[in-house]
Amino acid sequence: MALNQELYDAILNGDAQKARAATEAAIAAGVLPMALIQESMVPAMDEVGRLFESEEYFVPELLLAGRAMKVALELLKPLLAASGTKMAVRVVIGTVKGDLHDIGKNIVASMLEGSGFEVIDLGTDVSPENFVTAVVERKPHVICMSALLTVTMPAMKLTIDALQTAGLRTQVKVLIGGAPVTHQYAKEIGADGYSENANGAVGLVKNLLAAEVA
Amino acid sequence: MFLRLAADGLSMPVGADLVLHEEPDPESVRNSGPALGRVIERTARRWNTPLAIPLMDLRLEKADLLARIGVSVQDADAFHFTAPLDAATLATLCDGKAGSSCPGSTARDEALQYIASIPDLFPVGMAIGPFSLVTRLMADPIAAAAMAGRGQAPEDSDEVRLLFQCLQAAEAAIHRSVRSQIAHGARAIMICEPAANTSFLSPRQLKAGSSIFERLVMEPNLRLKAVLDSSACDLIFHDCGELIDPMVEAFAHRLHPVILSLGGSRKLWEDARLVPGDVVLYGNLPTKSFYSDGAMPIEEVIRRTRELLTNMKACGHPHILGSECDVLSVPDARETILKKVDAMMSVTAPSIPH
Repeated sequence: MALNQELYDAILNGDAQKARAATEAAIAAGVLPMALIQESMVPAMDEVGRLFESEEYFVPELLLAGRAMKVALELLKPLLAASGTKMAVRVVIGTVKGDLHDIGKNIVASMLEGSGFEVIDLGTDVSPENFVTAVVERKPHVICMSALLTVTMPAMKLTIDALQTAGLRTQVKVLIGGAPVTHQYAKEIGADGYSENANGAVGLVKNLLAAEVA
Repeated sequence: MFLRLAADGLSMPVGADLVLHEEPDPESVRNSGPALGRVIERTARRWNTPLAIPLMDLRLEKADLLARIGVSVQDADAFHFTAPLDAATLATLCDGKAGSSCPGSTARDEALQYIASIPDLFPVGMAIGPFSLVTRLMADPIAAAAMAGRGQAPEDSDEVRLLFQCLQAAEAAIHRSVRSQIAHGARAIMICEPAANTSFLSPRQLKAGSSIFERLVMEPNLRLKAVLDSSACDLIFHDCGELIDPMVEAFAHRLHPVILSLGGSRKLWEDARLVPGDVVLYGNLPTKSFYSDGAMPIEEVIRRTRELLTNMKACGHPHILGSECDVLSVPDARETILKKVDAMMSVTAPSIPH
């Protein structure tokens, strides 16, 4: 049973309005933000992920759940900041240079936020230099790169090379995804992982970081 | 004609982009009608087909549409509507009068005119489908479609309202595009709806009885088919996205294209049972992964081609062997891709012993 069943259900059902109402009520009742996140919101997104893997939920359900989660999270962020609480894992995400597709990237960002990670979204058409700058300035644990076209995929390797040149490659895990991308391609270009869907990306981030700690 | 081409064993990729990138300055050729026409002609000759299929450039209708409200061609790709349109803007976008064409559209039409002058080539036009154009006009089309799929009406939600306004605008843009292409000699139009798939439209909602697939995909495409029919122009329908069987059935039976082109995730020999016998199935080797020898070695290309041809022959459904989508020329992988396309084309249909 989730700490806050109403919030859990609202996220599971992708109901942003109910998620807002439930979160506002919980805040008013003095529920600690991190407790809400860890004991209601993340479990809801975990269940969303399970339903996606079992093909009961699809991308639209994933997206609506992510939006409901985001609405709740936006209400909690000021409280977290005020108490000095930071999310444990920071992820930088973007679509690579020359590519303007963002739907897949946005879904991954949503799912990562929904799993309690801090997500910095660089948007689309992100140059290798801008990814490097983001690593220098924001010190993420993970970079996620998306490409939807075979012609823009080479920018993924260019970004990894740029991180290498800047001496940053070992400081950050690099994950890639997008319709034309494959496991094989990830290996070829020296990425740390590849996921074929948004839910998988979340699991991959968790696994990669767990392997680091172990 | 298409059934005869299938019966004769035609095989061809959607390969104009590959040939375009043999030019020393592909981007100049892309925007030059006569030069582009020659590329399309060479593409047809390269693979020995009468079907002169153009570049699958699905940006053109968006660029021409947004030019009506002052968005430049350079800014069109990244532009998204974020709030419901006012009446004047919507009227401007939906105006049936021809507006200015971006260089790519002008070149496309001039190239069609060139092809139409060549007696042994069949000029095919190209346009993005209405729903797919909607997804390029909005920042978050999936959420809007999902909300509409749950029953939220335009009056209940700005996003749903914008969704249906974009659909109106998209239809108008595509109707203008196809009319222009028909006027320049197109005898068939390939309508590309890659976004009409299970990432944008939830099978869960469809199974629960949502009309969202009907309202966003089928109805506008049926109206488009009517426009083509009124000009005796054939429909080639392309959707390379992840689909469920009812979607394939609807495309095949209700749109009744001369050719139905599907993506690599489908098994065409199984889809044959969903498709009328006079609709040719086209495709569908997974050419999007041809850039990688690791992901798709040439031996696998040949194996899959043989499997496809064998199974299509066994099921007896008309089929033209081809690519799951247009085959893009990828920097540093061009030769790898071409080698596999040629390998695919060189596999011949086996004879089935009686």
